Amino acid sequence: MLIFIIRRLLILIPMLVVISFLVYLGLEFTPGDAVSHMIPPELANTVSAEKLELIRESLGLNKSFLHRYWIWLTHAVTGDFGHSLAGGVAISQIVLDRLPATLELSAAALLISTILGCLLGTYSALHRGSWSDSGLTVVGMLGVSIPEFFFGLVAILIFALKLGWLPVGGRLMPGFDSWFDHLPNIVLPALVLSLMMTAGVMRYSRSSMLDALNRDFIKTARSKGLPEWRINFLHGFRVALTPVIVIIGFRLPTLIGGSVIIEEVFQWPGVGAEFIEAVRGQDYPLVMMIALFSVFAMLLASLIVDVLTAWIDPRVRMGAQ
Amino acid sequence: MPGSALDRKFDRIREMEEAGKLKTRTGSRALRKMLNNPLALVGLVLFSIILLASVFAPWLTEYDPGKIDLRGRLQAPSADHWFGTDKTGRDVFARVLYGGRVSILVGLGSALLCAAVGVLIGCYAGYKGGWIDVICLRISEIFMAFPQIILVLLLVSIVGQSLLNLIIIFVVSGWGAMFRLARARMLSLREEEYVQALRSFGVSTARICYKHILPNALGPIMVNVTLTTAMFILAEAGLSFLGLGVPLNIPTWGNILNVAQDLRVLQNNWWMWLPVGLVISLFVLSVNFIGDGLRDSADPMQQG
Repeated sequence: MLIFIIRRLLILIPMLVVISFLVYLGLEFTPGDAVSHMIPPELANTVSAEKLELIRESLGLNKSFLHRYWIWLTHAVTGDFGHSLAGGVAISQIVLDRLPATLELSAAALLISTILGCLLGTYSALHRGSWSDSGLTVVGMLGVSIPEFFFGLVAILIFALKLGWLPVGGRLMPGFDSWFDHLPNIVLPALVLSLMMTAGVMRYSRSSMLDALNRDFIKTARSKGLPEWRINFLHGFRVALTPVIVIIGFRLPTLIGGSVIIEEVFQWPGVGAEFIEAVRGQDYPLVMMIALFSVFAMLLASLIVDVLTAWIDPRVRMGAQ
Repeated sequence: MPGSALDRKFDRIREMEEAGKLKTRTGSRALRKMLNNPLALVGLVLFSIILLASVFAPWLTEYDPGKIDLRGRLQAPSADHWFGTDKTGRDVFARVLYGGRVSILVGLGSALLCAAVGVLIGCYAGYKGGWIDVICLRISEIFMAFPQIILVLLLVSIVGQSLLNLIIIFVVSGWGAMFRLARARMLSLREEEYVQALRSFGVSTARICYKHILPNALGPIMVNVTLTTAMFILAEAGLSFLGLGVPLNIPTWGNILNVAQDLRVLQNNWWMWLPVGLVISLFVLSVNFIGDGLRDSADPMQQG
């Protein structure tokens, strides 16, 4: 098992290097370089060409592309990811500042969607063909069809602006910084973010549960005279859960992607909102690093899914060796 | 008598046959199954209505979506302006119709291009195998390692905003999934006997791939095209809502929603963003219904 994990971790490294190289190459084609961002536009004409050249030289900008990439890579390995163009703050600092908010929101959404999705899906499977089942199917379809941010806007309008129950956005009210104080702030974004994923989990757990209920061991359990709830939950649900866990893992990217826009809608100060700011402000180093961090998070998530499946199902583990 | 129930059934069938009700059914079975699925039918109708309304926009509204009328600003919906007017007095209904043209073009166009690129490469790589396959697989893995929206935003920041760029970006970010699907189908189909027969006749690789195997792999690909269309329409709306998608001077569904970032508009001028949001939701819903219907009708396990 340990060997399996280590092998998978080792595959991650070349992948990350190749992707970082490609992204670095891509940013090479963006207009301007670091120097043109450092000098305010109104002063651009007063600075002589030689002086610009001098600054470029001191920053190592006139070295060849490969050389610069190598310098960047060696720095990145030691944890120095460079500085943002706007404000010159270390990128690692920005990400570390913003990460807790994003993790908090994603974890809340993941929790809500997993519990709600499994419950509704199982309910739907147990009442197959009934009105509530078809109703839930249509609701699930709606869940994946409504743009998340639009749903967020409607939620803000109803619960924040009209009813005034919850705040419009933001994470911390000034003066309140304990975890419970910003509970009202997280309710709306977490619910909205979990909408699409709940719908997905619901569909998968429904079909997975139906699958499990058709198996022979369910018949055996029933013929033994076990009570129906025991059959459904202790026998059926346990088997049905395995594929659902895998699906939840594969849905993590949707969650990461969704949180970008939802953070912006609710002014939630997470990595996603920062990323959008960076794209708007053409803060290329920051854009690049956040993109790479998200790739890293994705690869890690898929690794965890693989390990979980291998742990649950020994056949996978054997096949990989 | 045990046979009597069966006899009666046969009699009934013969009666129907003689009455001419029981012709051999013609037409595509998949299509028939699709039309028997109520949700897919609802989806098809909704899809057609919204698509046709966008295409024939000039016949449905006399307003120009870009015409500024400062005297008619911020009007609530009325008989003149069905969805009201926006901050510069442009008719929102006209903007929704004309915006639909661009949004549907971006969504459907990118999805079809994605399918074309992914299937073209996937079929060949999957059939040939070997180093071509390995290289294509690695490349697709690189693109699929990004969360979609992050890759799209990264590319937007590299190549800049324009309508064409956005379509290209969507294709670049989305071809991987289509490639994987086509390749996976190919891997199982290339072992079929008819393929071996074709090969023994000396039929060229490209001909076997695209003419003989591809049609058998088309079902799941079509389903995926619909799902990708839905995804791209949502992506365009989200990006333009943020102001990072299609340039703001072109009306698209996302660009119309852009104004809702302002809380005052959100609270006071519901007609500027609510109807268009509903139109997007309905359109994506209809595409998803069609996709589900296609999936069911492509599945031979289900009779219809």
